[in-house]
Parts: sequence; structure tokens; C-alpha cells
Amino acid sequence: MFACVYIPDFPVEAIVRAEPLLREQAVAVLEGKPPLVRVVALNEKARLLGMEVGMTKLQAAVFAAPENKAALNTVECKGKLHPAVLRQRSLEQENSAHSALLDVAHAFTPRVEDTAVDTLLLDLAGLECLYGAPAKIARDLASRVSAVGLEANTAIAANPDAAMHAARGFSGTTVIPAGKEAQRLGVLPLPVLLDAFDIPLQKNSATDREREKLREQMLDTLERWGVRDFSALARLPHHALASRLGEAGTRLQRLARGAGMRPLALCEPLSRFEEAMELESPVETLDPLSFILNRLLEQLCVRLEARALAAQELRLCLQLERRVADEETTTIQELGNSSHNVGWAIFERTLRLPVAMRDAKVLLKLLQLELAAHPPGAPVIKVWITAVPAPPRSAQRGLFLPIIPETEKVEITLARISGVVGERRAGIAHLLDTHRQDEFRMERFVAAPEEMKQVEHPTTSDIGEPPLLALRIVRPPWQLRVRVAEGRPVSVSSLPIQKDRRELQGKVLWSAGPWRSSGDWWSENAEQGSAAKGQARPWDREEWDVALANGNGSSVALYRIYRDLGNGRWFADVSYD
Amino acid sequence: MPSAATLRARIESSLGERLSSTLLLRARTAPLTVSTGVAALDALTGGLPRGALSEIAGPASSGRTGVMLAALAGATCRHEVCALVDASDSFDPASAVAAGVDLERLLWVRCSEHASGLRRKDEAPRTAHGRLEPGTTRNAGFAFGRVLEQVLKVTDLLLQSGGFGMVVLDLGDVPAESARRVPLTSWFRFRRAVEPTATVLLLVAQEPCAKTCASLVVRLEREAVCARDSMPVFTSLCDNSRYESGVAEDARTCPKSSPTGASQFSPARKRWGKWEIDPSPVEAAQVFTQTPLTPWRVVAHSGPEIPASNVVSHAALLCGMRLRAEVVRSWTQRKLAQSAGVNFELRAAW
Repeated sequence: MFACVYIPDFPVEAIVRAEPLLREQAVAVLEGKPPLVRVVALNEKARLLGMEVGMTKLQAAVFAAPENKAALNTVECKGKLHPAVLRQRSLEQENSAHSALLDVAHAFTPRVEDTAVDTLLLDLAGLECLYGAPAKIARDLASRVSAVGLEANTAIAANPDAAMHAARGFSGTTVIPAGKEAQRLGVLPLPVLLDAFDIPLQKNSATDREREKLREQMLDTLERWGVRDFSALARLPHHALASRLGEAGTRLQRLARGAGMRPLALCEPLSRFEEAMELESPVETLDPLSFILNRLLEQLCVRLEARALAAQELRLCLQLERRVADEETTTIQELGNSSHNVGWAIFERTLRLPVAMRDAKVLLKLLQLELAAHPPGAPVIKVWITAVPAPPRSAQRGLFLPIIPETEKVEITLARISGVVGERRAGIAHLLDTHRQDEFRMERFVAAPEEMKQVEHPTTSDIGEPPLLALRIVRPPWQLRVRVAEGRPVSVSSLPIQKDRRELQGKVLWSAGPWRSSGDWWSENAEQGSAAKGQARPWDREEWDVALANGNGSSVALYRIYRDLGNGRWFADVSYD
Repeated sequence: MPSAATLRARIESSLGERLSSTLLLRARTAPLTVSTGVAALDALTGGLPRGALSEIAGPASSGRTGVMLAALAGATCRHEVCALVDASDSFDPASAVAAGVDLERLLWVRCSEHASGLRRKDEAPRTAHGRLEPGTTRNAGFAFGRVLEQVLKVTDLLLQSGGFGMVVLDLGDVPAESARRVPLTSWFRFRRAVEPTATVLLLVAQEPCAKTCASLVVRLEREAVCARDSMPVFTSLCDNSRYESGVAEDARTCPKSSPTGASQFSPARKRWGKWEIDPSPVEAAQVFTQTPLTPWRVVAHSGPEIPASNVVSHAALLCGMRLRAEVVRSWTQRKLAQSAGVNFELRAAW
């Protein structure tokens, strides 16, 4: 058995998918460059209003004007007149909708044929034991497609072409038992057959326009013969039809009888998860943008869930309403998708998640916090969100293990904390392999890394050891004015005088030292002094441990001070506690 | 006249069905506790209570950070995830590793007046690593208010997030007068936030500042800095001006040590101010009475490395710091009849 998923009025559905509120309204999709903008797709409500494909934008605008009630031949929805909504065709949104459709199909079976942008064929062999009877499979398929925001016709038949014609011709869910194809398909009009028919041509380089012209000619011919539906075509004598229409005629007749059997041209599952939306008007603030992001993320998460995947990385691209030359600081890059408008400023942010997740609310909050910390700086006219998929994490933990923070909550908390204390100010300290003092690297904090060690270390209390004399680092080191007598520091004061740091002013009660320390003098930076490169500079210093009388002398505090032998300045960098 | 017990029984029987628990006293259950990482402190306090706010207070170089790291080491060894809200960005990862802290389980939040999500125009220059150049002056008037604001916000976020075994607020370098400005409502909020959880909320400060919101308050003070052989080198505050002594700026001005110097301070146990120093290990204590201006006294031993000046050995200065811990407030006893204290030492990692 084969199943077909067909999305009627696909350009309209792609737009309605991004704006679900439009589903109850008449929608017409426009395409073309002014002044040749025409209607290319309509939904059923727009047809009821009297709109037609091929109308100019001016003609369509009449149906979109709310005050022009005469033109609204009046479709009432919930007691109110709804004018038509006109939208520009969006290829990005159609691509996203098509990708979502493919994800749904691949969730059922790997044997999927990407027949057209609005049509997919699925081989259901062996799926009955997994999903049940064909009727149930058709219903499940329709509901899954509905979950990604599309309204589809689904049909199941014994051969792929019969399933496709049934999906194109009958709305809703259709199941054609084997052997009943000709009977069930007979009522369908011929345009259903010809729209999906790939007419064989002599030259391979024939354009779509030429194929469309040939289809129209063939349809005119058949209509002149009085053949208007599948059953009429199926009843025509085979040899007479072949002699008049050639190979195309015999193929058409075979399809009209529902007897054509062919192998599917299978397609690979998509590895790219991208959702896009073009905005009708520029969005200047983050609040309305959040609604758009929410919609896109929900769609993205549904797609990931359909494939049993999660997002390991999230990339947000915003096309800004300004040209490249207007702003120097914006990240300008030509994205891989050719439909992205090169020449506009593109604002890009990437969220690398510690564990794969697909909770749209969590991802939305992370994006909101990211945008709050790094606002795009200009009105947004187009949005893309791309997810890098990964297998979802397994959350099963032992019953008797200590509770750890939820990863999603921790991510949001870290993003909020970064908004308070700044970026890279919260995380895990990773010590570097160097003798330089206070060298570490801040790394991302992960509450539950997969390879987290589970080794028990005895604590100082367990083994009866006294606690450690710890260091408190002074960042950055305070510059000191030190009085030296006989080569030893005897009094210290901060530079400049810190009113709140009185403990660093006073006499040195006791001192121990000096200890000489140097390093990185062998590196290239020693000669170049290239601090600008952000690399480690050589150090050469003389360290002293001193006991200082704090402030008014009420207590003694221990510090480590050092003299930078490069410039002769004194600093305090450590207090012992 | 019915007795009180009879009256109570009648009232309970009449209201029992509607107000079943109104008249019943709830039994006060002892909270679960975890080790502080210091055996002596555990014996003194019973451990740090979960779901409560504990405080460790003490001046600089009083061992607060050592105790804090011991507690964190214990928590991370129990496979708990911990968070450290560092008000002054003074945490030393190397010390933490030496103390046994598993850094992978420790979320370190570095607050400081320089750290802000929004960079100001007057902010000091940074290196490419994001660090300030040594000697960079801090803004006039160290903005502790701003730092404390960050600390409170971050702590709120961490407690709301939940799941942390221990959350430590390190206000050790924040002046006591600034820490006292934190409104009591903030501590109360933290206490209520942490109550239904198994989190240990530990506050390290110079002086107790959470007041009644803290279930356990331990005050640490350095009793003496001792050499490896436990011989005291110097002691803490001496409030008796008669014994005020100091260290000469120039060693040459120091008086020669004399055997009579020991007689000024008897080798027997001597109470100086609030601290009692046991000079028994000292064979011949010598006191340098130099200038009456500095209220410090020196007790040095007459071994081969007798300091004739302010010069002491590294080991004498840092190794074997002796501390005294005193319980100021405890969940086990609302009002302490008498202060309980314990002495212990810190060890150096080298």
C-alpha cells in the first residue's frame, strides 16, 4: 500500500502555518514584481469571496478593503464580515513547510518520495503491524501533518499514482481498497490527472511554461472529445487513444484506471532544520519579535520531535532594515541559502546548548535573554531559526543519587545571571597548566554532564585533616606604595588610597620572603610585548608574605605582595584566609 | 471548675472535625545537616542545616575561606552541585582544588563592580582575556551597593532554579557596614526560598548580617599564627594597653632579647584581652616592646631562628594558623546560655 499527503493551496498554507490566526480568513498570495503583481494562490474562503488566481494586486485589493462591503460578496464567519488578507509569497516559508512535511513523512517510514513541493508519497509496506489499519495510518498521518501547522489531504491506495490522485481529488482522508481504484477515481475531473502528469517531451530542457502549455492543449483536446473525468478517459479504446495522443495518452489512461505501478524515487531525511518568516512590516521592539520567535520555535520543536531529535545548537538570523554600509558592527555574511538577501545587514546569534533540548518555552526564553543582552540594533524584517539536531539526552538517573538542577532551568538561570554580572562571569573554573599565578579559564557550567565523575573523595573532615589555608585573589592586583628598609617591606599603602580597603594600609608587622618567580620569558611575546594579542606576557617578580595591621589596627591580616621586577612596581594579589 | 486539660479536650472534641490541627502544636523537627568539612566545627555545631541559612563570620585571615572551601569540598564529594556567589571576585580555583573541591560541580558567579551586562563608558581597560590590567584603579567609591545588588539578584535566581546542594554567598571582602545594609527582607526571602529544599545556604561575611534569619551563626577568629611546631608567633587583638607592643620598622631599633623579657609574660597561661595564649611550648618567650603606638605584641620562641626583627620564616607566618570558632546562634538552641567555642588549625597546601 502507498499513502499520499497533499497540501492544497500550498503557498497559502505555508503562510497560514506561520500565522495561524489567518486560518479563519480569506487569504490570497501575491507574487511578481510591480506592476505585474498577481494572485498566485487562494484558499477556499477567498474563492468564495470571488477572488481568482491571476487577479492583479489592484483587483485583489478590492476584496481586502474592509470598507468595501459590496465587493465582499459576503462570506460571513462567526457573524462578521472578513475581508481578504493579501500576503506576499514567501519561498522561505514554503521551504520550511515542505521540510516540515518531509519530517512528518520520515517519522512514519524512511521510504518517502518527494513528489512535489506539496505532495509526498509514502510506502506503507510493513507499517500495518506498527500503526494499525490503513485507515488509521491515514488519520494519524493527517493529524501529524496538522501538528506542524498544515492542513493536508491524505489518501491510501494500492499504487502510488492512485493514492496521489485520490489525495489531490478528495479532501480529507481517503482509503481506496485494492482493485477499487478505477471505481473510486472515476468521478475525479481530468485537471486532477493532468496537473500531476509529467508529460514526456523530446527535449529535456523544456521549461515549466512549455509543459503547462502542452497540458492545456491536451486538456482542451480531451474536453472536445467529451472526456471530462477519469472514468470517461478509462473507457476510451486503448489503441485509438494511443494512435491519437501517443505514449502520453496511454499513460494517462492507465493512470485514470488506477493501474499504474512504479517504484518510488526515495529521498533522504533532511539534516537541516530551519524555520523562516518574512515580516509584513519591520519589527522594532523585542516583545512582538518574541511572538514570532515563539511560533517558529514551536514549529521547529514539533519537527524535531517528529524525528525523535532535539536541538544541540540554535542559530538565530535576523535580517535588519538597513543596508550593509549603514552599520559597521553588524555581522555581515552571506548565508548558505541563496534566498537570503545579500546586501542587507544580517544579525546572527548562536546558542550552543549544553545538552540537546526541544522545549520551545525554554528555547524562547534563552533567545529572549540573548536578544536582551545583545539587541539587534535595527528593525527586523526577516527571521530565520536553524537548529542543529542531536539525539535527545537520556534523563534517567539513579534513585539514590543527589538531586541536581534541571538542565533547562540552569540554562535559563545562567542566561539571566549573565545579564546581571556580564558574559563569561558565571561558569566552571578550569585550571590551566602553567606556573603563572591565577591562571584559569571559565567554561560553560553543565549541571549534569554525561561523563561527570562519580568517584567518592574523602573530605578533610573524613580523614581528620585540618582545613586548608586558602587564598583570596585580589583581581586586579592592587598597586601599592611600599616603604622598604634593608631590603624588606616595612610599610604598605594602596595606590590610590582605597577608602574601603583600609586593611592594605599600615605597617608590615612580619614579612617572609622574598621568593623570585618568573616565566614565559622564553615565549615570543617576551620581545614583542604583545599584550594586544591577548597572549600571556612574561613575568618576573619578587614575592613577600606579609602580616599587616588592618585599618585601625584591630586585627592582623596576611597578604602576599610582590614587586614586578620589570617595572619596579609593588602589587598585592593575594590575601590568606 | 474544669481543669485546663479538660477544657482543651472539650474544645478539641467539638472543633476536631472542622479544625483538626488548629490546637495541635507542631513538633519541631531537627533539620538534616551536612558536614562543614571540619571535624571540630561539626562537633561544635552539629553541621550545616539543610533548608536553612547558615553564616560564617570573621575578619580577614580568620580562616573563613578555608572553612568555606572545606564545606564545598564535602558537598561536591557527595556529588551535589554547588554554587558560589563571589561578591568580590576573589575565589581562587587552585586553593579550591587543593581543598578537595570538584570544580566541575561548582558554579562560580563572579560579581564585582566591573562586572556588568552593560559595559559603561568609564569602565577600566581590559586585556583581551577580559581581565583588568594590574594596578587598574577601581572606580572612586568601591560600589559595594552595586555588587550587593548583583549578589542578591544572582542568589535569588539560583534559589529559584533549585537543585543546588549548597549555595555560598561570599561577602568576605565586603565591608561589614556595607553588608549590614542588605535589607532583612532579602535574608528572610532567601530563608523562605530555601526552607522547602535540601539546599544549604551559606553566607560568609566579616560580621553576622542575616540576624534572625540565620539558623546557624559561627564566628571565626584567628587565635594565633603558629609555626610548624605550634609555637605562637603573634597573637590577635590585645585590648590591654599595658601590654601594647609593636614591631619596629627598623630591626636595629629593637631591643635585644633578654631572658628577663620572658618574665614580663609569665610562661604560665596568660590571658591577654579576650584570648588566652598557652605559651607552654615556648621555651623562652621574648617580647619586643618597641613602640606604644601599635597595639601588637610579638611572642617569639628562642630557637635558632629567633626573629630579631619583623623577619619571620614563611612557615612561621603561614603554616598552622590556629583558629577559634564560636557559635553565636544555632538552630539547636534559640538562646545560647553560654558561648561554645572550639579551636582548630589551618594547614598550608604547600
